[in-house]
Amino acid sequence: MSDDGNSVTPDGAEDGTVLQKPVDRRGALGMLAAGVAAGAAAASACRPLNAATPEERELRVLEWQEFTQKHYRRMTDAERAETIQRIERLAKIRHDEDVTIATTDAQPGVLFGYAFNISKCKGYRNCIEACINENNLDRASDTQYIRIFEMEDGGINLEEADATYQHEVPAEGHFYLGTQCFQCANPPCVPVCPVGATWQEPDGIVVIDYNWCVGCRACMAACPYWARRFNWAQAEVPLNEVNPNQHYLGNRARKKGVVEKCTFCIHRTRKGQLPACVAACPPGARVFGNLLDPDSEIRWVLANKHLFRLKEELATEPRYWYFSD
Amino acid sequence: MHLRAFLLSALRSATSGGRRYHLWMGGLTVIMLAGGYAYLEQANHGLVVTGMNDHVSWGLYISNLAFLVGLAAAAVILVLPAYILKDVDFSQAVLIAEGVAVSALVMCLAFVMANSPGWPWKWWRLAPGVGLLNWPDSMLAWDVILLNGYLVLNLAIPFYILYSHYVGREPLKRKYVPFIYVSVFWAVSIHLVTAFLFSGLTARPFWNSALLGPRFLASAFTAGPAFMILLLGFIRSNSEYPISDSAISKLATVTAVAAQVNLVMLLSELIFEFFTPTHHNISARYLFFGLGEHDALVPWIRTGIALNVTATITLMIHPLRKNPRVLMWACAALFLGIWVEKGIGLVIPGFIPSPLGEIVEYAPTWVELWVTAGIWAMGMFVLTVLVRVALPIELGVLRSPHLEDSQPYRVVRPRSTRTRYPDVRPVRKR
Amino acid sequence: MWTRLVNGVVCLAVVGIASGCVDEQRPERETAALAADTGLTDIDLAVAAFNAQRQPGELPTVQAAPVDRWAGPGARPFEVAVRTSKQEAGHPRRFGSITLETALRIRPVSQYPCTSCHFGRTVVMTDDRIDDAHQNIQPVHPEETGALCSTCHSADNVERLALAQGEPVTLTESYRLCAQCHFQQAEAWAGGAHGKRLDGWQGRRVVMGCGDCHDPHSPAIQQRIPFRAPELERARTTHE
Repeated sequence: MSDDGNSVTPDGAEDGTVLQKPVDRRGALGMLAAGVAAGAAAASACRPLNAATPEERELRVLEWQEFTQKHYRRMTDAERAETIQRIERLAKIRHDEDVTIATTDAQPGVLFGYAFNISKCKGYRNCIEACINENNLDRASDTQYIRIFEMEDGGINLEEADATYQHEVPAEGHFYLGTQCFQCANPPCVPVCPVGATWQEPDGIVVIDYNWCVGCRACMAACPYWARRFNWAQAEVPLNEVNPNQHYLGNRARKKGVVEKCTFCIHRTRKGQLPACVAACPPGARVFGNLLDPDSEIRWVLANKHLFRLKEELATEPRYWYFSD
Repeated sequence: MHLRAFLLSALRSATSGGRRYHLWMGGLTVIMLAGGYAYLEQANHGLVVTGMNDHVSWGLYISNLAFLVGLAAAAVILVLPAYILKDVDFSQAVLIAEGVAVSALVMCLAFVMANSPGWPWKWWRLAPGVGLLNWPDSMLAWDVILLNGYLVLNLAIPFYILYSHYVGREPLKRKYVPFIYVSVFWAVSIHLVTAFLFSGLTARPFWNSALLGPRFLASAFTAGPAFMILLLGFIRSNSEYPISDSAISKLATVTAVAAQVNLVMLLSELIFEFFTPTHHNISARYLFFGLGEHDALVPWIRTGIALNVTATITLMIHPLRKNPRVLMWACAALFLGIWVEKGIGLVIPGFIPSPLGEIVEYAPTWVELWVTAGIWAMGMFVLTVLVRVALPIELGVLRSPHLEDSQPYRVVRPRSTRTRYPDVRPVRKR
Repeated sequence: MWTRLVNGVVCLAVVGIASGCVDEQRPERETAALAADTGLTDIDLAVAAFNAQRQPGELPTVQAAPVDRWAGPGARPFEVAVRTSKQEAGHPRRFGSITLETALRIRPVSQYPCTSCHFGRTVVMTDDRIDDAHQNIQPVHPEETGALCSTCHSADNVERLALAQGEPVTLTESYRLCAQCHFQQAEAWAGGAHGKRLDGWQGRRVVMGCGDCHDPHSPAIQQRIPFRAPELERARTTHE
């Protein structure tokens, strides 16, 4: 990354090589994109040209490449590498962040499952805190993927539940139920996307290509578990709190106007680590593992505990179970 | 040669007019500019400047989309009788109906753009070939195809007919009637698909009803003709264009019937929701009665229902419906009532409470209101231009200067007339 | 915090037992010698080193650390009756065993190791002695169950717990003691539904022991103020 930072010096020769790239891409995108290109170019031409330092010019080129970027699933390995390099460079230019963005694919033979012990959760919300820090969630609007609902003993009624409790927990006569993206086996949010910007990976994680999303929010309307969040404005994360360990489909910087969601910490779990919420849970109410491994803890829970899932009648088949001791 | 002349005279026709006309167009332009500024505001800052949030993630824009797709679809009410059933009463009004459809579609597409801002060219990702259109899975992808296709149909058919008249030719039936058939089915499907966009979402029990599609059609066939009656009434009293009484009265009948069907469907929804209250009716409870202190939409929807019921009853009473003044007021009330009920009254409660039971209410901000006003002004602008071009051509006033015979056909009025504006039929001269 | 634990383990801080300070340079030979002298295992030494460094009262939260560095000698198969996936009619339960590794005990034993007072002596365990020297212990669990100190603690070697049949076990293996009564929890713990796995879902399975979450003398999880609540009406605080 720091090499990247140094490679662009204010001399024109370096610039020239960077400027070569959009021509190639335009060729690849075909005629229609070229038409669109003309429109976008005309718009970007409206910006003040006099303020074009080499770095600003580079930024403009990178932004242009970002705009015309292919769908993530259609990229070749080389294009992925180029994309990652560009995003890392953009993070450096825009926010002076040194980040590492992975494109780790799903491990073969792995299908993630999650179980939540409602009799263990004490409502501490350490998971939420860890999630915010791990996934670079917007601090300005306090975006949170996880909700912990405080419920009265005796039944599960989301309408009566309270997620905004602020008193000593666990409260007498109450239990706690956490929600996040359930990575449904039959995700209703995926087919509704008009541009196919969201899909399910082979390991079961439903992901979003933030660079492809057009922000129509059909997926948010379609999710029965309120798992998706929108970037109503540009997300803000203090520089010293940015988690530089990122994944293209996960916790990298999101643009304004795109949808984001929990990815079971894809940047961690694909490397064998636990999601941040699981790692942070003090009473160990969260169980995570590979559903295809018969010796995994999640399989033990599924085989030995009484389970339920939220809104089973919708046939979304969440890979997120609730159980109790 | 003719095409250039056509475009030029169209431009001339659209830009010339009396003081009131210029005031109207100037006013619309001012509102459009204000809306454009508001749009820039939200493009720059993001949708944070709107009243929408993670709980109520669609707002005024999608509400208007749902309503306006209906307005566009309602053109079929005139297209079908005029072109296919050869109904002479509607033959004059049908081009205007298609103009309404075009303007409604322009507004629809604009609302889709406004709903997910950023620059409109980001939609290249939908384009075939380079983009990725998630068809046939995504109802929104269907909607994009259908809305654009319907726009093309409703631009092409009237253009062909008007242009033929302009150059003094009789439009060839075999060239446009097949497209008319297509457009009839297309009109129904755009609105059904827009309904499916909502009703297909199991996440939102408030929309997840088989009745939503039919209800959309019924309300569209109420609001659309109601708007046409208002528009035709205006045209009739402000131009020479012959709109027959029977055209208006037929439209009024259609409106009255559709309004009743609409109310019946509303009633069945209400019975369904409230006779045996379940968890699924909580959004309906929020809408009609409020949930605790959360009752922002209660006065809104009650006003809408009151307008609907009053107007429908008025239209059901023959003497009242036949009184032009009362008819106009009833149609205006109906149009407004359906906009209230089917726009915000349908879209917003779907999000309240959230699927996890949290209640966050919605109120549009000034930015949203201005963008919405701007888009409506744009629609009215487009409609005015289209009507302004179509009328002189159909009246035979506007003709290609390149024609040898500058009066290829004339409008003949029968001598004996029962009403002020008798039925007239253009008699074409070969 | 875990990194601190890891440091503690790696440092082999023998001196930590006696003085509470860490000596990174002390050679292993001396460690072994000391262990031989005191009768302590290297688990006990590493635990003590860690305890010397951590904040008292801190609840364990877990951050990523390479699982290899967890190589605690506490790893040993824990046999417990578990239901296997091969359930058959008439045999609702089949028995199998699960191998897992427990993390080193991470809650402090106390301010001082027991041997600093009870060195080489057999301890007289009566209730009133708690008030004498162990006022920091809240004996909720014994009071509620009627257990005595000697129910769990070995009178012969105070650094050891004693199973019902008299077998002494280390504090790190406390699960063997707890499992005598809490067999259901032990089963769930061995299976993965109770307790907490450390570090990763893949690779070696290292889990926290009973005492890492539960104070053995007062095992109920305590109340506390949670992390900040979400706001439903999220007002955006922009820098503009």
